[in-house]
Amino acid sequence: MFSTADTIVAIATPPGRGGIGVVRLSGPDAARIAAALTRRMAFEPRHATLTQVYGADGQTIDQAIVTHFPDPHSYTGEDVAEISGHGSPVVLQSIVAAAQAAGARLAHPGEFTLRAYLHGRMTLIEAEAVAELVDAVTPLQAQVAFDQLEGTLTSRLRELDAMLLDVIARLEASLDFPDEGYHFIATDETTRELDTILGTIDALLADAARGRIIREGLTVAIVGRPNAGKSSLFNALAGAPRAIVTDVPGTTRDLISERIDISGVPVTLVDTAGLRAAPENAIEEEGIARARVAADAADVLLVVVDGSQPLTVDDRAAMDTRVKRRLIVASKSDLRAAWNARDLGAMVVSALTGAGLDELRARVLEAGGGVLPRDRAPMANLRHAALLKQARAALERAASAARGGIPEEFVLADLHEARGRFDEITGARPEDEVLRTIFARFCIGK
Amino acid sequence: MKYHEIIVIGAGHAGVEAAWAAARMGRDVAICTLSMDTIAHMPCNPAVGGTAKGHLVREIDALGGLMGLAIDATGIQFKLLNRSRGPAVWSPRAQADKRRYGAWVRAALGREPRISWIVGKAGRVLVEHGRIVGLALEDGDVYRCGALVITTGTFLNGLVHVGTEQRPSGRAGEPPSRDLAESLKSFGFSWGRLKTGTPPRLHRRSIDFSRFQEERGDDPPVLFSFLSTARPRDQISCHLVHTTEQVHAIVRAHIHESPLYNGQIAGIGPRYCPSLEDKVMRFPHRERHQIFLEPEGVDADEIYVNGYSMSLPAHVQADIVHALPGLEDAEIIRPGYAVEYDFIQPTELDRGLQTQRVRGLFLAGQINGTSGYEEAAGQGLLAGVNAAMAVGGGQSVVLGREESYVGVMIDDLTTRGCLEPYRMFTSRAEHRLLLRIDNADLRLTPRGRAIGLVDDQRWEGFEARRDRLARNHEKVRRSTVTVGSSRIPAERALRQPGVDVRDLIRDGQLALDVVEPLIDLASLETVYRYEGYLRREAEAAARLQRQESRRIPGDFRFDGIPGLSRESVERLTNVRPETLGQAARIPGLTPAAVALIAAHLN
Repeated sequence: MFSTADTIVAIATPPGRGGIGVVRLSGPDAARIAAALTRRMAFEPRHATLTQVYGADGQTIDQAIVTHFPDPHSYTGEDVAEISGHGSPVVLQSIVAAAQAAGARLAHPGEFTLRAYLHGRMTLIEAEAVAELVDAVTPLQAQVAFDQLEGTLTSRLRELDAMLLDVIARLEASLDFPDEGYHFIATDETTRELDTILGTIDALLADAARGRIIREGLTVAIVGRPNAGKSSLFNALAGAPRAIVTDVPGTTRDLISERIDISGVPVTLVDTAGLRAAPENAIEEEGIARARVAADAADVLLVVVDGSQPLTVDDRAAMDTRVKRRLIVASKSDLRAAWNARDLGAMVVSALTGAGLDELRARVLEAGGGVLPRDRAPMANLRHAALLKQARAALERAASAARGGIPEEFVLADLHEARGRFDEITGARPEDEVLRTIFARFCIGK
Repeated sequence: MKYHEIIVIGAGHAGVEAAWAAARMGRDVAICTLSMDTIAHMPCNPAVGGTAKGHLVREIDALGGLMGLAIDATGIQFKLLNRSRGPAVWSPRAQADKRRYGAWVRAALGREPRISWIVGKAGRVLVEHGRIVGLALEDGDVYRCGALVITTGTFLNGLVHVGTEQRPSGRAGEPPSRDLAESLKSFGFSWGRLKTGTPPRLHRRSIDFSRFQEERGDDPPVLFSFLSTARPRDQISCHLVHTTEQVHAIVRAHIHESPLYNGQIAGIGPRYCPSLEDKVMRFPHRERHQIFLEPEGVDADEIYVNGYSMSLPAHVQADIVHALPGLEDAEIIRPGYAVEYDFIQPTELDRGLQTQRVRGLFLAGQINGTSGYEEAAGQGLLAGVNAAMAVGGGQSVVLGREESYVGVMIDDLTTRGCLEPYRMFTSRAEHRLLLRIDNADLRLTPRGRAIGLVDDQRWEGFEARRDRLARNHEKVRRSTVTVGSSRIPAERALRQPGVDVRDLIRDGQLALDVVEPLIDLASLETVYRYEGYLRREAEAAARLQRQESRRIPGDFRFDGIPGLSRESVERLTNVRPETLGQAARIPGLTPAAVALIAAHLN
């Protein structure tokens, strides 16, 4: 599948025109190909050299800066040459074509990072983090990915693994040294420590849910009866008059959506047709059906109720929608209130003055689970979350077996499985750790 | 000039199994030993088995080896360890009458016409074109052979320490092997130095046993061999005593005279069997340590002081012994000592225990960095089998990690090497739940039969037991039983916690054919009771098997993989993994490096 025997080449900077553009070569022939392209003998390692670059046809393509990173001290761990030319797509493509003519192969997406991983330049988690860092759209996404690159998740897992290893070592010691004359671990101690570990995993998994929100964002649907002020609220939150606002009830027929940013979390805001029991025509009926689909798919539902008008049957029906994450918003607070918002637990806002909007944004994030404690590194990666859930299931089995008085070797079977899942996340396992831990702590042997 | 198909150097627990196995397979074998009086000798603990070690003995027996039969015939106290836990960690252990044990093994070998003896001191290994051709003794006699199995225990450059006194010696009072060590070194093997120790021996008549806690054996005893039947027999008792603060104070006061603490010993000792010096110095918070007094035989004078291994000067040892209540007047027959010896890094071996540098040369036991009679015997058996295979042109026999403790041990040794003496533990076996003492025969006796180790008598016994188990399963599948107030299928009942097959049999609800209750019922009930666990374990084993089935050709060049670090190439070239799975177990090799190798295997 992956060969590392050949030299790969690709444009490393984004497509389109730029001040400079970089072509990267990696592999055993990177230095040779860079030399061939520039008609030089060699490059001084890690020094920027200004030189002419020649195409396959012998014509000068560009004047560029070439830097050679000899293996293993390079991004991929292989010989790497970087050619920084002028940022024209045509120029850069000519350089790539010349490199291909000299023996390089066009790199597959992510192949440089794959090679870095294969050559031990980064762990699996770091490689994944690089991909996420490159894909980051919001600053928060970038920060989460960077935390992961810095090994924050790895160190959290290492702590968990150390806690688990401690329980494992004592249970193993009980089995392998049954006649030592003392208890290595009592059953209630086992279950207590496993519960602590399970609690820590639950916190990490909750982070994972937040991490998913940071990566994928939240969908927020605005619903309510016709003319409740949904579109005005939508425009106020979007910061632009995207939806048509009139006094005519039922102006909004189709779904209108806008991507906004709330404290770094990408939020897709959806305005919907007003809900009423008796639609006037087929168009409105279809609009209401679409509104209901959008409401079902949303992470958070904003139920807008006109605060300046007495509550109608349609208002009550809208508020009654059984949605887990639902916020009731009393609109038009710039007008005289017709009912007490507090009685319904509603938030009071005015799209006209902007009053209450900041609080609404904060509540949306909170309801969607996108609020980040500052000291936590959330897990954003689905693979990590899935493996952590498997580890959790194994630990749950182990804890219940221990509570049920099932012998240690069975409890251990599941604990080892949980550790195996941790290893799958991080990629590696130190050798012989269980025994080392046992002997470091206990005087064993008669 | 004499020729033997196979020569085995050493008649310890590894050597005798190697010779026995090769002879069973029809080979002409000569055992080279310093003395006919130390065959299957127990220079340290007069005991066989224990956790995981008991499993090894069951496996040796299931394959057709000697150790299980020998200890059953000469054991004087038997105990099943971990009885309160599940059958996967039940481990038999027995005290041996060490003199009778050796005599029994010598007699068994004596009945095997293909085994002959060379009494003398092995000197030089003769090699031509990278192949073994013979052995020269120190006195100059030369024997030609097709394969050589070396099982020298602690004799290679052995150095015995008692206090600051040290003398070259393989065991107390026996000369070390120096020429042989030099001869082996000339082939360029990677070497290391290890240390082990033994406690003082006391005279039985000088001990006041009434002061100690008596430790009795199990009644009836649980034996080691599938050929033996458990019945009550006379057993002796051991005695338990604890160290005191006074003992610890003497050790601390004289610690500078211990070769372990004054820099005299460089070899690495076993962590799981610490010397008294280590117990006191490294675990100062422990108020007391257990000491067991174990007779070395029914009518032997020597009492082995288990847990009191030390290498302090003899007069200090006397003070330490006499400080224990009940041992005030104890006579010391022989002081404890430490012994340092050379070992060859077992990464020099392939998984058939043959060295990669010299073909036809096999190593087993302490020379490979292990400790323990059982570990030695397990390797000896496999080395003997593979030496016979090498001579006869057969395929090397490798047991899998999912199939046996012997397989786990040999894979660990040859893949990871040794940094300290290697002892078997159940925690080393990742598929522990599948590797039980009750199913050792089901796992291995057919293998032993195919190899040619299992004779007709054992095979008939095995077939009877296998058929019995199948019939009992059938019976369970067809029966219904009453549990509480409801009538349910027996299969379902046996899955319920709290339902014991023994009760169902006793109440007459299930009529099963049971010959060896402990073994027969364990093999039967685990299938129902631990169904989920066994299924998950079997799935994990199957996953391992997938990586294990990706073979790495013997001539594969790791240095031909671009980007593999020099360190990784070095490790891989040393170990020469035979499969991708084995490569993945090499310490320090990253999963990325393994992925890289996998990519280049295609």
